Amino acid sequence: MGGIAFGIFYGSIAFCVIASIVRMVRYANAPLHLRWELYRGSSVYELSDWWTKTHIGFKDKLKSVVLDILSLREYYHRNRGFWYVLYIFHIGLYLLVLWHIWLFVGAVTIDIEAAPLWGLVWGGVASGLVFIGGAGILIKRITDEKLKVYYPRIHYFKWAFILITLAGAFYSVQFFFGASMPAVMEYVKSQLSFELEHKLHPPLVPALHVLFLSPWLIYLPLGHIMQLFFRYYHELRWDHVPNLRGSDIERRVKKLLSQPVTWSASHIQSGKRWSEVAQGLPEDTTGKE
Amino acid sequence: MKRKRTRLSDISQKPDEQLLEITAEDLVPLPYPYDKLDTKTPIRPLTEEQKNTYESSLDGVSVVGIPKPKSKEEEDRLVKSFLSGLKKLLSKEDNWTFWQQLMLTLESCVRCQTCNEACPIYLASGEQEIYRPTYRSEVLRRIKKKYLDKGGKFLAKFTGNDVELNWPTIARLAELAYRCTMCRRCAMWCPLGSDNGLITHELRKLFSQEMGIAAKELHELGTVQQLKVGASTGITPKAFKNMIQFMEDEIEEKTGKKIKMPVDKEGADILLIHNSGEFLSWMENPEAFAIIFEAAGVSWTLSSEIAGYEATNYGVWYDDVQLARIALKQSEVARKLKVKKVVVGECGHAHKALTVIADRVLTDEANIHRESCLPLLEDLVCNDKLKLDPKKNDFPVTLHDPCNIVRLMGIVEPQRRILRKICPQFREMEPHGVENYCCGGGSGFAIMPSMNFPDWRASVAGRMKLKQILEVFQDVSSPEIKKYMCAPCSNCKGQLRDLFSYYNVWEKSGILYGGLVELIVNAMVDIKEPFIRWEWR
Repeated sequence: MGGIAFGIFYGSIAFCVIASIVRMVRYANAPLHLRWELYRGSSVYELSDWWTKTHIGFKDKLKSVVLDILSLREYYHRNRGFWYVLYIFHIGLYLLVLWHIWLFVGAVTIDIEAAPLWGLVWGGVASGLVFIGGAGILIKRITDEKLKVYYPRIHYFKWAFILITLAGAFYSVQFFFGASMPAVMEYVKSQLSFELEHKLHPPLVPALHVLFLSPWLIYLPLGHIMQLFFRYYHELRWDHVPNLRGSDIERRVKKLLSQPVTWSASHIQSGKRWSEVAQGLPEDTTGKE
Repeated sequence: MKRKRTRLSDISQKPDEQLLEITAEDLVPLPYPYDKLDTKTPIRPLTEEQKNTYESSLDGVSVVGIPKPKSKEEEDRLVKSFLSGLKKLLSKEDNWTFWQQLMLTLESCVRCQTCNEACPIYLASGEQEIYRPTYRSEVLRRIKKKYLDKGGKFLAKFTGNDVELNWPTIARLAELAYRCTMCRRCAMWCPLGSDNGLITHELRKLFSQEMGIAAKELHELGTVQQLKVGASTGITPKAFKNMIQFMEDEIEEKTGKKIKMPVDKEGADILLIHNSGEFLSWMENPEAFAIIFEAAGVSWTLSSEIAGYEATNYGVWYDDVQLARIALKQSEVARKLKVKKVVVGECGHAHKALTVIADRVLTDEANIHRESCLPLLEDLVCNDKLKLDPKKNDFPVTLHDPCNIVRLMGIVEPQRRILRKICPQFREMEPHGVENYCCGGGSGFAIMPSMNFPDWRASVAGRMKLKQILEVFQDVSSPEIKKYMCAPCSNCKGQLRDLFSYYNVWEKSGILYGGLVELIVNAMVDIKEPFIRWEWR
């Protein structure tokens, strides 16, 4: 049993890391796309000779990303009823992730016996917010007619599973570790050591919690959170960098234009390169296919 | 009686039944003078012959004119072709042009339906399920999952994915791809960056590039005609030159000014490129540009070369290859004329297509500078390079924001600064700017008069726009008070013309539509007679 838990937990960590890297590499290697942006307000195109003007900078993008992530502002403006529960859930989740980071770092850097009580409060509040937010989301998803539309059945189980995982965490900390911060940290520290004894024969309660956590580590790189990377860092909303002659973008465009066109309709000229096909219509094109 | 909600799986079933029939009661109410419920059928039914010939089982409307397959074998071939196209859409090699955006949209939707409130078609129709902005995306997503993902058919049994890939699904999806104007208001609303307008685009592309299915007005009469003849309106270079002569005579007749409109002038600073629809339907617009540029001493020219007098690029709405071909032709014209830059006239999609989207297609000498006419006009008006008297425009004016110029390009303020300076009674519609409603003619709808589609376009697609136009003029609603709806986009004007005709807006409310430059010329001190003619056309 202990060996299985050990395998699942550390396997899920490995999967999370590897799958995240694979997905990020996939995005990073995505080809340059045609520009298709949206604007929240005025852009550089309001200026004559816009290609000589300053485009939106990294700081502006970063500000927008931080605002989006911390306040879920699109939901706040467009779907307030759903925002309340989403916001509680996400703030709790951010706090919980930070708490876990603190636990792991603290376990090897601070005097465990003197682990502060506020650490316990932090973890408790974060878990409470995630639980309340998660339960709120589940209730909204069940009761709100609009939120039910096209919502995959499996996701209802996802939310229920989150609540069970949190309940397990609460039970572990409160009852198994006796609401003792040093006890929690000691356990975390044992997980960070290379000593196999603790891992192969773990105590049942925290082992169960860790087992429940494993599916989330597997889900994380496959879920929506990874889209943030896609959305913000691959210039989908903003792509103001013009394709100037001799630029890196031009080089990449030329490379793409040297690829063959594979589409089958008769006006396309399948098999020829993009740069050749773009020169004009095939002689016999009438538009009637 | 409340109608039973259409399910996703209905798209694959009962091929002979319509999924939806819109009645007057369904539609969102309009303000005065349209506040009494009109009980007439908003959309004329197709004739029996049309019904028997073309696919129309989505909503009883046909715009693509897809012939019904004559045999099971033909149906199977089309289904196979669709699946082959879908595989290409999802391949980054085959679909590098939009692969990233498509994958983001397919993978990131959390079904929060926040976008629903943004869609003017969904709202105007009384929230009909098939027009929900996520409906077509979800159908596509489920087809992908079931028929292309590993173990998809097996998993479908557990996940309740009961959308079938068969001919009824494909025929309805093809029509459904033409029930969205790609205004992308839904994408603006989406907290995750999912873009249902892009799904429309990609579906249309799949049908065109793989199956050879596209709306006739976009393909055969649109991009093909433009590349062969010179313009999607069918205007030839010779006819264009005759029109120039006609416009010069008309300018003299209207203003007393003798203006020679420069054509094919090498070395000018600017190549001005109009939507050729202006030359056919609204000559006062290119005439106004000529009057303004001459008065301000701008170095400019028009072109009589094939594609040089036509700013449109319908490829942007359905076919990446056609988009690239047209953009390349347009840039070639500019290069030959040795102009410093191309300035796009009052045409929304041409703004976006040539200035922004084509940026990833044009390289080396073909990569000429391109920009909107609005910053230039703002400079001329707001820096007093023209003598203008705002009192000459002392009538209620509102501004329509063409989606392509405003939400999709971020050109929000220049047109407003101009109107604030020259129109004392300028007022904003709500919502406006980047949150505007589409006119209902976007993505080519304005130029599609096929079968009963114009009825759908006027009663559903353009309804939210009409509602906000009527609302902004409620305090001056009498038809005796003449009002001006400024729409700096040729296709938007085409849609407004048809929309206003359908509802008799000129007769009942006294609202005229027109461009921005017409208002500028109307305010020019040395133009004695009003340039804007208050008559319906």
